[in-house]
Amino acid sequence: MRFECRDLTFTYPEADNPVLENLTFSMAAPGFNAVFGPSGVGKTSFARILAGGNSGPGGNALIYEGIATILYSYNQERLPGWANTGRHLEKVCPQKNSDLKKELVKIFKVEAFLGSRFSQLSMGQQNRMNLIRYLIQDFDLLILDESLANVDEALRETIILAIKEIFPAKLFLYISHNLMEVARFCKDILVLSRPGKNKGAVVVPGQNYETGYTADPQAIDRSMLEIMNAV
Amino acid sequence: MLFRRIYQFLIVYCLGVTGLLAIKYATGLSNYVIPDLTLLFDTARRMLTGYFFDVLNTLSVTVLGQMVSIFMAFFVGIIGRKSSWLGSFIKVMAYNIQAYPIVALAPIIFILMGDGFLSRLLIASMICYFPLLLSVLGIMASPIKDIEHFYIATGRMRWQLEVKIRAFENLNKLTTVIAGSATLAMAGTIVAEFIAADQGVGYSIRIALYQSDLARILVALFSIGIIISVYQGILETVGEQIKTKWFAPKGGELL
Repeated sequence: MRFECRDLTFTYPEADNPVLENLTFSMAAPGFNAVFGPSGVGKTSFARILAGGNSGPGGNALIYEGIATILYSYNQERLPGWANTGRHLEKVCPQKNSDLKKELVKIFKVEAFLGSRFSQLSMGQQNRMNLIRYLIQDFDLLILDESLANVDEALRETIILAIKEIFPAKLFLYISHNLMEVARFCKDILVLSRPGKNKGAVVVPGQNYETGYTADPQAIDRSMLEIMNAV
Repeated sequence: MLFRRIYQFLIVYCLGVTGLLAIKYATGLSNYVIPDLTLLFDTARRMLTGYFFDVLNTLSVTVLGQMVSIFMAFFVGIIGRKSSWLGSFIKVMAYNIQAYPIVALAPIIFILMGDGFLSRLLIASMICYFPLLLSVLGIMASPIKDIEHFYIATGRMRWQLEVKIRAFENLNKLTTVIAGSATLAMAGTIVAEFIAADQGVGYSIRIALYQSDLARILVALFSIGIIISVYQGILETVGEQIKTKWFAPKGGELL
């Protein structure tokens, strides 16, 4: 599995300046990687370009090897309101992944809400429910655009560690504004800075902690500093 | 919902009659021009039952015409929701035809099809069809990206699911438009009856008009108002029940 980007430049129609300019990087794959950067730097635009694959805009700058199915999930997605969330999960779950679904429902702590409609859940519960339905699909690369927003920190850690454990052969791109979390759990962190800063894209190695880890505060500080310097 | 519609109509009707009576007494007009209350009640006693059945006759055409329009609007709206050339063609055509006063075509329909049920049905359907079509087209052509994204990304999107998502998300708008189109369908049927039909409350009003009998016209308007209020109230109640059944029960709003 290989994932690279060469000279990706993207300008929205009718915009004066490009949102992404000469983006060149390569990332470890598979693994739980991240995209980090200040608001408005083009993380979501970048994620959407990636989700379009080679056939989307800017697709010829992307090199995917061993990555056929790309899914993009984001934090404002909703499930239709005419049935409860449990029924929706059942409907979109491939037969072979029904055990995985049960496992994820337990880890994500959403068993109690399977009988509720999506609109009745809190934002954190909604995001967890939405993420489960992506994880039970067949994919090679899953982009998580703030997909764990509004989830409490402890549960977010549990979820990220579980994802890393259950899907070691998949590639994840986790978009988050949580510097500490990204530095601790991600393998490679693509740091985007605003176009025109002449910094380009920098890939910073994270601590890539797995279940049962022992934190090294100094190493985490180092990663965080590297990330902040790259912004 | 049902009773609110009826009493709202009664308030408006009473205000209208009061206004007419005020003009009558202020300018000293005779009963021949504006009837007094005694004549109005007397006419109501004699004519109300007949007008009631006339309105029911008109309403039966209205309901059927509206059902045809709803079916057609959804059929064309679903086909026209795509941004293909056919979809664009349907949208442009609907917007342009909607701008034309359809009722002006009624004489052509009567010339071609003669008096009777079919002509009334066609005019009623045509009058409420285009506003309905524009609303349905608008709803069906607007993606609900936050919901549809997953189904598109995972290859699960089918046209039935797309229509279901968009209809569900716009249920309030759809029920309001359908209830509102009842008035249009009723107006279409009455206009058709004014022009050439030999049945219905529009035909009865035409007779009263030729006799310059305002009392009869006011009684006919009363029958129309009450029955259309009940019909709209029923439509809204059905819409509310669908929403209650389909939507999640809310635990109460804090703000």
